[in-house]
Amino acid sequence: MIARAQRNLVPAALGFGALLAFIVFVEVLIRTGAVNRFIVPMPSQIAGAFERVIVEEDIPHRFLITAREAFWATVLLAVFGIGIGVLLYRVRLLRSATETWVAAMASAPTVLMYPLFLVIFGRSERTIIMMGFVAGLPAVILKTIEGLAGTRRVLIDVGRSFKLTEVQLFWKIFFPAALPTMFVGLRLGMIFALINIVGVEFLINFGGLGQLINDLAERYDLPGTYAAICFVILVSVVFFFLTDRLEKWLRPAD
Amino acid sequence: MAETGRLSAPAAPLASPVTLVRIAIVAAILVTWEAVAASGLLFRDVVPSLLVIGRATAGLLADKTYYWHLGVTAGEVGIGLLIGGLSGLAVGILLGSNRLLGRAFEAYLYYLGPTPKIIFFPVMIMWFGVGPGSKVAMGTISCFFPVALSAAAGMREINPVLIRVGRSFRASTWQMVTKIYLPAMRLPAINGVRLGLGVAIIGTLLAETKLSNRGIGFLIINAYSTFDMPRMYALLIVLFVLSIGVNAVVGRLGGVDSIRRA
Amino acid sequence: MSSVTRAAAAPRAQSAAPVLVVDGIVKRFETPDGVMTAVDHISFDVAPGEFLAVIGPSGCGKSTLFNIIGGLLDGYEGRVAVSGETLKGPHASIGMVFQEESTFPWRTVTDNVAFPLEIAGLPKAQRVERARHFIDLVGLSGFENRYPAELSGGMRQRVAIARTLASEPKILLMDEPFGALDEQTRLLLGDKVLQIQDQLKQTCLLITHNITEAVQLADRVLVMTYRPGTVKRMVPIELPRPRSSEIVSSDAFGRYVAQIWGDLREEASRGMRDDEAHRGGGAP
Repeated sequence: MIARAQRNLVPAALGFGALLAFIVFVEVLIRTGAVNRFIVPMPSQIAGAFERVIVEEDIPHRFLITAREAFWATVLLAVFGIGIGVLLYRVRLLRSATETWVAAMASAPTVLMYPLFLVIFGRSERTIIMMGFVAGLPAVILKTIEGLAGTRRVLIDVGRSFKLTEVQLFWKIFFPAALPTMFVGLRLGMIFALINIVGVEFLINFGGLGQLINDLAERYDLPGTYAAICFVILVSVVFFFLTDRLEKWLRPAD
Repeated sequence: MAETGRLSAPAAPLASPVTLVRIAIVAAILVTWEAVAASGLLFRDVVPSLLVIGRATAGLLADKTYYWHLGVTAGEVGIGLLIGGLSGLAVGILLGSNRLLGRAFEAYLYYLGPTPKIIFFPVMIMWFGVGPGSKVAMGTISCFFPVALSAAAGMREINPVLIRVGRSFRASTWQMVTKIYLPAMRLPAINGVRLGLGVAIIGTLLAETKLSNRGIGFLIINAYSTFDMPRMYALLIVLFVLSIGVNAVVGRLGGVDSIRRA
Repeated sequence: MSSVTRAAAAPRAQSAAPVLVVDGIVKRFETPDGVMTAVDHISFDVAPGEFLAVIGPSGCGKSTLFNIIGGLLDGYEGRVAVSGETLKGPHASIGMVFQEESTFPWRTVTDNVAFPLEIAGLPKAQRVERARHFIDLVGLSGFENRYPAELSGGMRQRVAIARTLASEPKILLMDEPFGALDEQTRLLLGDKVLQIQDQLKQTCLLITHNITEAVQLADRVLVMTYRPGTVKRMVPIELPRPRSSEIVSSDAFGRYVAQIWGDLREEASRGMRDDEAHRGGGAP
């Protein structure tokens, strides 16, 4: 047990130590004047700016705005993404006609449509929510189809042998069998949505955390900008980590 | 509408049902679009007639300056992909081949990968200026993560026997990389490049829309601020066709390769 | 179609009317090489409470027969009747146990076993109580709240059997239910099935390629030929009941196994030659 804990501890310590060493190194570089402090603020300054930014810029409030946008985008993704996925799975012809289109949309730079959404919905939360939704939609649709299509033949046969109706077959066999894969899709969609929500907030200078970064940068508040960026990274890492855990918990079988 | 249904019936042997459905969907979208545009009730000015969009697209493609802007963007994306892709590949190989380094640092990549990269743009402006430099930097940051992660994963998937074979012939590190690692992980590497290219395009163009005076992103945001909707549609259509096309070409490179090897 | 002569009439005098009648089943499949006859004029009866095993080499159409009797496959000639009623699709009187892992991974043992009761619309409390009875019957008490992923392969297959039994079928139809398990587990689970059959007086139809299993469990063994699948011989197993897996060491058991192997050997080697010819002579 101890040996195992040590095995896990050494790489973690190395990773964290290297990160700390890097921060100290940057600090030294700036203090000695090797790096211009008006381009890169000292890490100690950034750390000092954290409290100021959290209090003065009301980060909790901005976080809630972004979280609210992400929540509505997720609701839209769950309803339309899973709904369209189920529809395409059930109507085979529609699926063979459009699945490649959906896949192509997944690789298209849909975020670039934000000026268009800006015209349609104005500089509002609706634009941001819709951008998040559009960015995540293909992943949710594709994973929903994948999950339903991956339902094992024998489980469907079990259902048929118990004389299940079509509706029962869907809700009692296909849906639960596809649920873990659907969640993988929903999580992917949520990640894309969050990336795009913060990005569009930054780009159109409206809303929560993304706007804060834009704001601070326009005010030339360097330590504040860096601190806000660190905070956004922290938020997405925590979000990513939690959903990652949730996903693993949902798939205990493998 | 009823007439189209009757017409399509005898055509059935010529076209598969799937093709017909596709045609029907596209036709339905176009007809709806045109109807909305003509009525002027919904989304006024946001939905221009298809004819107008078509004309704007043709005008765009005939415009010499468009190609100059396209060249600027392509150059930025290309350099970003080159720097980010190569450094991603190097880091991925390093983390994938060394267990200790992989376990120490890969988690950072894994968790930093899905963060919004565009928020680094103000910093990149300070570091590299408002010109193409900061756009290249955005492309680089964007594509570094997916390339590094898939290269590291690809490294670990290499059959250990192949590595032992290389060692047994006493290959040098460089020989190991060029003769064993890279050929064996070609598919994940190509897939990483495909993902990296997609996000590099997004990172670069978004940066261009935020602060720039050249490039496709600039043209899009310029069309927005002059409220030239047909031009914006034309730009988006051409951009989507280009990026989906490039993605498909890179994907096919990987796909064809895998078939030939099997 | 029913004009076909019974290839193997039940040798044992059967007082009760057969609960299952399989009469002149022919099933053909379209393949790239032309039409393939999987099952050719198979007929047999199963008496109430009887245990019939159908044995044959791989590719003799056993699984086709399983799917036809289970009502999952149609487009065949002939007739399957349950208590005189001609089969059209899955029948409530026939409970199927599949060869593959078929428990629902998202349901606990109790919820898996209660599944048919849930479909039948039983209230929750009653469902749980009935399910508990069948869980107990297959010897899984104490595992009610576990998920299949937490159980061994043999336990999961017992869950599947309990689930099918919970629908209280007249006929328990099993397709190599222990096929994926090791030999020891297989013998022990055979004991379990014997015990259950004895308790419930359950009519069973077992499809298998395992001779030991067939002789251990069955009252009669139907030996099938290799492609197309026909009835080669019906072997009554006159071993005393109640039986247990200890019987495999008896002389009588050995004689039955030898006799059935004598019949099967020919068919299996025909199948093997066919398979090798298909692969261009290369050994698999």
